[in-house]
Amino acid sequence: MNRREFGALVVAAAAAAGPFRAFADETCQSPYMPKITGQEEFVYVWTLGVEGMGDEQDKLVTIDLRPDSPMRGQVINSLSVGGRNEAHHGGFSADRRYFWTGGLDTNRIFIFDVHTDPSKPSLHKTIESFVKDSGGVVGPHTFFALPGSMMITGLSNDDDHGGRTALVEYNDAGDYVATYWMPTTSDMQGAVAVGDAVADGYGYDIRALIRKNIMLTSSFTGWSNYMMDFGQMLQDTDAMKRFGNTIVQWDLHTRQPRKVFNVPGAPLEIRFPWGPNANYAFSTTALTSKLWLIYEDDSGEWQAKDVADIGNPADIPLPVDISIAADDQTLWVNSFMDGKTRLFDISDPHNPSQIYEKTIDRQVNMVSQSWDGKRVYFSSSLLANWDKKGDDDVQYLRAYTWDGKELIEDFDIDFYKLGLGRAHIMRFGSSELYTS
Amino acid sequence: MRQLFLPYIIASFLNWAVSAHAQSQCIADAQDWSETALKRSLSAPLGLPPVLHPYDNSPSVAKIELGRKLFFDRRLSINRTMSCAMCHVPEQGFTNWELSTAIGVEGRSLKRNSPSILNVGHLNVLFHDGRDHALETQFIGPLTARNEMANPSAGYVVTLLNKLPEYALMFEDAFEAQASLDRIGMALGAYQRSVLAGNSPFDQWHFGGDEAAVSADVKRGFQIFTGKGNCSACHLIGDDHALFTDERFHDTGYAQLRDIERQNPPTSIPVQVAPGVVHEMAFSKIHSVSAKREADLGRYEVTEDPADRWRFRTPSLRNLTVTPPYMHDGHFSTLSEVIEFYNQGGSQISSQDPRIRPLGLTGVEMRDLEAFLQSLTSPDLGCLISEARVSPPDNH
Ligand code: HEC
Ligand code: HEC
Repeated sequence: MNRREFGALVVAAAAAAGPFRAFADETCQSPYMPKITGQEEFVYVWTLGVEGMGDEQDKLVTIDLRPDSPMRGQVINSLSVGGRNEAHHGGFSADRRYFWTGGLDTNRIFIFDVHTDPSKPSLHKTIESFVKDSGGVVGPHTFFALPGSMMITGLSNDDDHGGRTALVEYNDAGDYVATYWMPTTSDMQGAVAVGDAVADGYGYDIRALIRKNIMLTSSFTGWSNYMMDFGQMLQDTDAMKRFGNTIVQWDLHTRQPRKVFNVPGAPLEIRFPWGPNANYAFSTTALTSKLWLIYEDDSGEWQAKDVADIGNPADIPLPVDISIAADDQTLWVNSFMDGKTRLFDISDPHNPSQIYEKTIDRQVNMVSQSWDGKRVYFSSSLLANWDKKGDDDVQYLRAYTWDGKELIEDFDIDFYKLGLGRAHIMRFGSSELYTS
Repeated sequence: MRQLFLPYIIASFLNWAVSAHAQSQCIADAQDWSETALKRSLSAPLGLPPVLHPYDNSPSVAKIELGRKLFFDRRLSINRTMSCAMCHVPEQGFTNWELSTAIGVEGRSLKRNSPSILNVGHLNVLFHDGRDHALETQFIGPLTARNEMANPSAGYVVTLLNKLPEYALMFEDAFEAQASLDRIGMALGAYQRSVLAGNSPFDQWHFGGDEAAVSADVKRGFQIFTGKGNCSACHLIGDDHALFTDERFHDTGYAQLRDIERQNPPTSIPVQVAPGVVHEMAFSKIHSVSAKREADLGRYEVTEDPADRWRFRTPSLRNLTVTPPYMHDGHFSTLSEVIEFYNQGGSQISSQDPRIRPLGLTGVEMRDLEAFLQSLTSPDLGCLISEARVSPPDNH
């Protein structure tokens, strides 16, 4: 789909559903969810507590984005949850009334009510029994909304804190439903390994393409690695052997794994485009610095291939979060080590090319963009013990406007100066979602 | 769901071990596994001496069952993420193959490699620096260390156990009393003293007289171990049994070598980013994401006697094929790296133990020596894993 077709789609959607409703959201979220297509009013930042700073606890920080608010660009609320849990990712429920977030270390899941007062989320429920419920899964990572339930990827397990893990499903009430272990060479569960893929059983992200009944999962590393000092790990040859090298294709409805693709070097985020005929997804490999395309070929079979380098792979720039524009034409790719964001033209998904780059700071991790792509937000923290040390450990949420050529800084919030901690995932909120 | 998992890990464990010797399949009986474990701890598997149980802690089925449960209980750490078994993983030879040095609560680093629990009941000198002497007291270290299980105090754990109904029954069964610090230690001691693994091909040949148990290269390797290599000067072999340790402290030169590397890092190091893909990474980049690494002076840290600098306890060499990586900081991933280190004469720094000197072993001799070390793996580890996993770890 080109930009013009996309524009027509948005206009049609807006006409059908009023100014704030459309088919799609600020990008990269579950397609089952109601959308903010206008101005996002708040950004929620799941933040890691730091020893010796502020109250030392993990917290959900709310930042005001309302254009006419005197508090715009400032922290208006902060809700501490107790302990340092290795706060990481989170996702809204399909009705977008609740924001589920996970602790990769302690395995607690915090469910925040974001609809009663979107400017001031409250803690609705804490699930303490994730490991027990799931039969030994550790590290609740991605929260992907399905109708009536939440699909959660794990990163590890409680037998050895290695990378073997599973998908775990809870219903919207927060009750455990099922565990689906990732396929491994010794238990493929009916999946086939494509080419020289070795089913490692590792997990990371999850995304789905509903009309094709496709679900994809990627693979990172186990607790021992994601919790340990990054520099120490890079020097530990045994630890470096324990990264995922696979993307798994699943049957979305039956939750059965179908194919295991060889995607070497820790494929992390997975993003499907929004176009009605776009049958592909992007992912990036953190260690090998490549952009991957998982796509349906002419015969209807799904395939995986690398389509571009991100920076110079030999420098290990460590690509982390990515964000696809709502018109499917461009993709933001952040890399942690060089603190850069790069924009790729993906209008031909088989031949992406870099069209822009900018250094955000000494380190950068997450990127989120508004539905119209004009506002782009960056945050800084990767993992508590992977973040840079000393002066390079800057912690922020920084907002930019994108005019199609340049990122222009709008506002910057220093999370250390405010005693908050390490800023990780960002999710948008809006009161418009709950007024019908 | 866990049923799917267990065959996987046992299979991967066996794959590893098979490289050296076939492991017997062994499924522990959920009812009477502890009887078997008790019998084992009172016997002496071929090649091992009998375990000397402390006079005030004779083993029992109830203590072994309680000790096993404690060993795997993740609730016994401040944030319920660490048990003893997270660092001493049964499927990984009761150590951890995936880390050179251990990682504890909140990802905090330890500076040493997790040793195996296999045959630990035979040791009178515990830890790489020998700072403890009994399993009855050793556990207090990891329970309260900030970088291991990080409990606020030992008493906190006692109180916690006394609040958990299932433990009240088990302590009653084992000691006719409620939980106390002493009794936790006794139960953990009784369990760990049942984790014995002898009867290796070497034992079957050397102590059992079965000439067919090992190949000719193993026998040649044994000659080097006790002859040209002089390994058995420290890794002792007795007349009726062998622990392969003198339980003394020596400066092999290794620790000094590692400290020189720590203080003089190279400008870049190779980093494996995917199977078969290695990039040279500038050390300045690694430094930007590294916490400061501590020195490790070994025995000196216990005695503060300058003569003890760089000395470490001689480890047992049993079951090496299932306990990589090697040395006190796990820097060697393979046995051939260790043998290479000895063959070149350690660090060749003058203060090191004079028995560590260039050996002039040929390639064939080094391979024979490695074959010998590989023949020290017990075929009975499957049973110990299966017993360890008779029920899932407590989490909640
Ligand atoms: C965070 C990882 C970790 C945890 C948790 C842990 N250990 Fe260890 N263990 C180690 C390391 C590392 C060493 C060696 C430390 C040293 O020498 O300084 C060790 C040493 C030992 C030893 C001595 C072995 C020898 O060869 O001397 C025993 C016994 C032991 N641990 C038992 C336990 C028990 C029982 C628990 C639970 C109460 C436990 N460990 C918890 C990492 C761990
Ligand atoms: C002077 C005493 C001494 C001699 C002789 C000696 N070792 Fe060692 N060995 C040690 C000590 C002490 C360590 C622990 C060193 C450390 O961790 O820093 C060790 C460690 C090892 C390890 C690593 C075990 C593990 O689990 O990490 C192996 C393997 C080993 N030695 C094999 C040999 C071989 C083979 C020889 C003969 C070529 C030999 N040793 C000679 C004292 C000795």
